[in-house]
Amino acid sequence: MWEVMRSRNSSFKEEDLKKETSPSSASSAVDSRFNQTLRSVHGLLKGRSFPGKILITRRTDPQDDLILRSPDSNRSLSDNDTGSSERVDESSQDGLQNRSNASTTTSFSKMKLSTSNSENASREVQKPTVGARATDSARLMKFTKELSGTTVILDNLRELAWSGVPPYLRPSVWRLLLGYAPPNSDRREGVLRRKRLEYLDCVAQYYDVQDTERTDEEINMLRQIAVDCPRTVPDVSFFQQPEVQKSLERILYIWAIRHPASGYVQGINDLATPFLVVFLSEHLEGSVENWSMADLSPDQISNVEADCYWCLSKLLDGMQDHYTFAQPGIQRLVFKLKELVRRIDEPVSTHMENQGLEFLQFAFRWVNCLLIREIPFHLVTRLWDTYLAEGDALPEFLVYIFASFLLTWSNKLQKLEFQDMVMFLQHLPTNNWSHLELEMVLSQAYMWHTMFKRSPSHLVS
Amino acid sequence: MASTGLSSSNSSSSSYDLSFKILLIGDSGVGKSSLLVTFISNSVEDLSPTIGVDFKIKLLTVGGKKLKLTIWDTAGQERFRTLTSSYYRGAQGIVLVYDVTRRETFTDLSDIWAKEVELYSTNQDCVKMLVGNKVDKESERVVSKEEGMTLAEELGSLFLECSARTRENVEQCFEELALKIMEVPSLLEEGSAVGKRNILKQKQVHHTSGGGCCS
Repeated sequence: MWEVMRSRNSSFKEEDLKKETSPSSASSAVDSRFNQTLRSVHGLLKGRSFPGKILITRRTDPQDDLILRSPDSNRSLSDNDTGSSERVDESSQDGLQNRSNASTTTSFSKMKLSTSNSENASREVQKPTVGARATDSARLMKFTKELSGTTVILDNLRELAWSGVPPYLRPSVWRLLLGYAPPNSDRREGVLRRKRLEYLDCVAQYYDVQDTERTDEEINMLRQIAVDCPRTVPDVSFFQQPEVQKSLERILYIWAIRHPASGYVQGINDLATPFLVVFLSEHLEGSVENWSMADLSPDQISNVEADCYWCLSKLLDGMQDHYTFAQPGIQRLVFKLKELVRRIDEPVSTHMENQGLEFLQFAFRWVNCLLIREIPFHLVTRLWDTYLAEGDALPEFLVYIFASFLLTWSNKLQKLEFQDMVMFLQHLPTNNWSHLELEMVLSQAYMWHTMFKRSPSHLVS
Repeated sequence: MASTGLSSSNSSSSSYDLSFKILLIGDSGVGKSSLLVTFISNSVEDLSPTIGVDFKIKLLTVGGKKLKLTIWDTAGQERFRTLTSSYYRGAQGIVLVYDVTRRETFTDLSDIWAKEVELYSTNQDCVKMLVGNKVDKESERVVSKEEGMTLAEELGSLFLECSARTRENVEQCFEELALKIMEVPSLLEEGSAVGKRNILKQKQVHHTSGGGCCS
């Protein structure tokens, strides 16, 4: 999705950019324009439209964003990209028109013009496919090129992966993004072999032992994990296979033993599942529902488990305090979310407050399980492409994703009273979501993040 | 019926005589959420572990009164207790659940959960109901009915054995609790008070430190 916007940006003429932010006026102009943008976005949010809005922010700081975030912005409006952007464009046009009132500045008008131009350009190559952008050939080639070098440049890979990784490359890309597999291809096999053996050692040392060798605490932890594994992703039948549950149990137990500050916390079982399906996809074909663990050799299973274990560890290294006593990391992110929503969508924020709704009542689970529980399972890996591409910045960016996710239902929320609102938020209607809806959430999050990071005082923690 | 001309189009806030807040507590995996889902929706499904707190509403008629029960279903794992403890406030009824096939879930009720109730419940007269779940697994049972009754006596609570899977005694569990609540004058008053909406709108006491630009 955000490749769409970047491509659009790249269609601006150099002169336009200079006009917008000529050195002499830039510093003073940026602040006031930012505030203006903020006000306008408030209005825009009602319509919930996308790429057009993103241009607003990206344009305020072209030097920065364009250069920083788009090494590959010189073209890749693929067929699929165009297809999906086309649909979005229509709504964003509505949004723009609704909003072209008093607050519209000349820069917005210009922007709108530019947008239309690039739309016309993209219409010429329009194809009907939507939502399959991660597999389009231009992107595939970029991924292949990026992965084939002796040393993978992680920043480039993050850039690409942010917008979605082709499924068959996902295992390799995720291992790299998480810093599990080394960027240097000569070392890669050796490191993975060593790490996988290390995991096997852990299993032998901690898991394959009698209960008499465990402390009471460890017995309790294993018991809790054993209670939870059979009820992990209960709506996907693959996870009902006893062998899958055993693998999950080993991964979680080893992780818990090696992370005594938190130990096993419910929800971490959910977090292991995307890794499991992605690393299993290297060995099993077709849809997850039809997979059978019986088709795998013991070696394959233990390698998959090892990869899951290490990747889960890497992911959680960045958010350890989400799972320690009182879960301060989660409380902090929920607090930031509340603040951010207040900045972005005052009416919703006020309504929620008037109704006495606490963010912890719904967002706690969002953070604890990183939204896995809130969207259909088949979309989770796509969401995680973006998570893993964010790397160390993920916790900060999560707040924006959550805000964007929540405000998808901005209009609806304002009509609900406390009880209906809590129940609505605990069972959000995402059943029929496709990549498109998810990517809209991510694009919006990206836009807000770009906007607000320039004004950090809004979000002091 | 005809006289309830005020009934709102809003399903969950349609007319009722009394409204009570109920809390479900107990160890992880004893079947709190399953009990609730069975009670609310007549369906039996496999559920993920509850994270934090879940919330459901049930309208029912007990003793000739139309009741609205707002039920908070809490996560059982210890790590979530800081969060869940704030939900005890203002509850008129608390359901303490254990699994008759796992003894530790039973002993934890007196070792841990009863103490939590004492510590966090703001309602002196709050009615407790002890529930032994999973009686459909009779062959795996390790906690006898007599033990359950003894504990209930100690806790001064009601007692039932039930099965979320077969639905046995599930409705009774909530109905008996509601009946008992209505027998307690102070709770009855709370349930019918003008400010009944406020029962739900508890302000969380546990704001983390961290603060913010505006706090």
